[in-house]
Amino acid sequence: MTSENGALLELKNLKKHFPVGGNFLTGGHQYLKAVDGINLTIEEGTTYGLVGESGCGKSTTAKMILQLEDPTDGEIIFQGRNALDKKSGAQKEYKSKVQAVFQDPWASLNPRMRVENIIAEPLEVNTNLTKGERKTKVGEIIEQVGLHSYQAGLYPHEFSGGQRQRIGVARALALSPKLIVLDEPVSALDVSIRAQIMNLLMDLQKEYGLTYLLIAHHLATVRYMCDKMGVMYLGKMVETADTDDLFDNPTHPYTQALIGAALPYHPDSNKEENILQGEVPSPINPPSCCSYERLCPDPENSGQTIGYKEVGPNHSVAIAADCYDDHGCHYFPRVRQ
Amino acid sequence: MATETSSEQTNKDNNDNEYVLEVNDLQTYFVSKWGTVKAVDGISFKLKKGETLGIVGESGSGKSVTVTSLMRLVPSPPGHIVGGEVLLEGQDLLKLSDKEMEKVRGDKLAMILQDPMTALNPVFDIEDQVGEALGIHEGLKGNTLKDTVIEMLKKVRIPAADTRMKDYPHQLSGGMRQRVVGAIGISCNPVVLIADEPTTSLDATIQAQYLNLLNELQEETGVGIIFITHDFGVVAKMCDRVAVMYAGKIVEQADVREIFNNPQHPYTQALIASVPKMEENVDRLYAIPGNPPILSKPTLCQTCDAPAPVLVEHKKDHWVAKCAEDSSCPGWFPRDLD
Repeated sequence: MTSENGALLELKNLKKHFPVGGNFLTGGHQYLKAVDGINLTIEEGTTYGLVGESGCGKSTTAKMILQLEDPTDGEIIFQGRNALDKKSGAQKEYKSKVQAVFQDPWASLNPRMRVENIIAEPLEVNTNLTKGERKTKVGEIIEQVGLHSYQAGLYPHEFSGGQRQRIGVARALALSPKLIVLDEPVSALDVSIRAQIMNLLMDLQKEYGLTYLLIAHHLATVRYMCDKMGVMYLGKMVETADTDDLFDNPTHPYTQALIGAALPYHPDSNKEENILQGEVPSPINPPSCCSYERLCPDPENSGQTIGYKEVGPNHSVAIAADCYDDHGCHYFPRVRQ
Repeated sequence: MATETSSEQTNKDNNDNEYVLEVNDLQTYFVSKWGTVKAVDGISFKLKKGETLGIVGESGSGKSVTVTSLMRLVPSPPGHIVGGEVLLEGQDLLKLSDKEMEKVRGDKLAMILQDPMTALNPVFDIEDQVGEALGIHEGLKGNTLKDTVIEMLKKVRIPAADTRMKDYPHQLSGGMRQRVVGAIGISCNPVVLIADEPTTSLDATIQAQYLNLLNELQEETGVGIIFITHDFGVVAKMCDRVAVMYAGKIVEQADVREIFNNPQHPYTQALIASVPKMEENVDRLYAIPGNPPILSKPTLCQTCDAPAPVLVEHKKDHWVAKCAEDSSCPGWFPRDLD
């Protein structure tokens, strides 16, 4: 079941502000705006890639979708229903339909549990299956992710990194979810193993019609796996587009810089170098956007609010709302060195 | 002995083609009651002045043990450098006493570590940490030392170096911290600089800045760089020559273009084919089956069961690990296929 426009998951103006500073009597006086009003739509059966550098808010977004963090503001619409509605009892169903695969397969599996128990735990909590039924189901899932059923009784330390990540995928699959949040699923793995896991995830998607949200910083991984993608910067979405379109026609200066900074795939690759200077400003009191572009006639008083401009089908790019139309100044605060 | 003096002399003549570092048949084993792990098992390579050699491999392939052996920092026990030579400007580092090695380490042979958070001491300011090696190796003191520290920080493009040097590591961003580690590395004008995955903990845009900085420093100083990485993108951007390590051995070694255009060893070929490219969309990547072998057990080639490879010169300066008994085997490539 999806909402009318085919969307499985929609985020509407989602925000997460963490209070910082202050003390326990007066509370926080300032806010770290980890995620500051992002919108995105993930269609059923597709993969959406969220990219950006550390601190841009992509993991906080994932945590809010998994309901590990409560949003400060905004809506999460899943299958046309408000997922944040705590009263309706739909919470349990939501949490079983939205699962996660984490980055570090060493830290995300309990070393004291056997693999069969790790995979069976979600079934135990969320279903009424008997012990025998659970065991059969676990056996099936283990085979689906490319492990052998005789390995069910082993502990995580008896597996290699790639195999452990397969166990993580198996656990996410146990409840037959609709959406899986993949938080850097291959970046902790060895290079020779990454393709195995990426291919496994794509095969499972085809077979079960899964929808993925892929959080990654490696652009080539996103290009390989994703249908649509969004680039985050400083808690805001700065560009969203179909993946191929975004790589072929990057419009926002940050997207261009991110693609420019990616490493070449061949020593003779005549990739245009676009090395961004400076660093990401603190998300606590970010400077106005125009500190970078210097196109704005009034940089002190503008560029705090952003708008979006459509530059193609499904392709929108963040601009400073105050400069809209007149200058087309992109929202892009940056600290110069 | 005669060869050592002659190579020292040619270096003094500033012959750019001379090798500043030669590693011959280096072997480092880790011994425990469960068996011996041959982490580095007879590897050889050479490095010219101003050249960058990339050592590529995945975790457990022995690349980090190789460079800690060069620095003679292998924890012992359980690690032992059991054989081979490491000739730095003709001088065999493995024959030096610990005291003599201390004089080389951080001076002629320096290292940049992977994680700038743990490589820097949190309780000393930047000035102390950059100045430490300069004080020990160059005997600098007082204002001369201070001026040199500022000069080094400027070299790694740290803005407002004279005030930033009073900062402690936690006051700097990750990219800035790694620049400080770089400044420590180059402070005593090393002949060879070892960079052990210096950018894996950095974000993409900061990584690009840092790699360009290393290239500029190399042009200025002519330092030879050994770049440890698992990322073929870093290799493509930084390296002149490449040694691909697998299961404690170098399985292929050649010029960087030769490695990318004409890889011979099945592992090199598979690695290059299994990495997604940002520039083009492929339908399906090649996935290498199985896992790397466990080094405490015999490593048998998956095609022909050969226990160890022989290096064959495929063409000039392009070496490939083959199996001696079976000429039809594409290359020595042990793999756990379960």
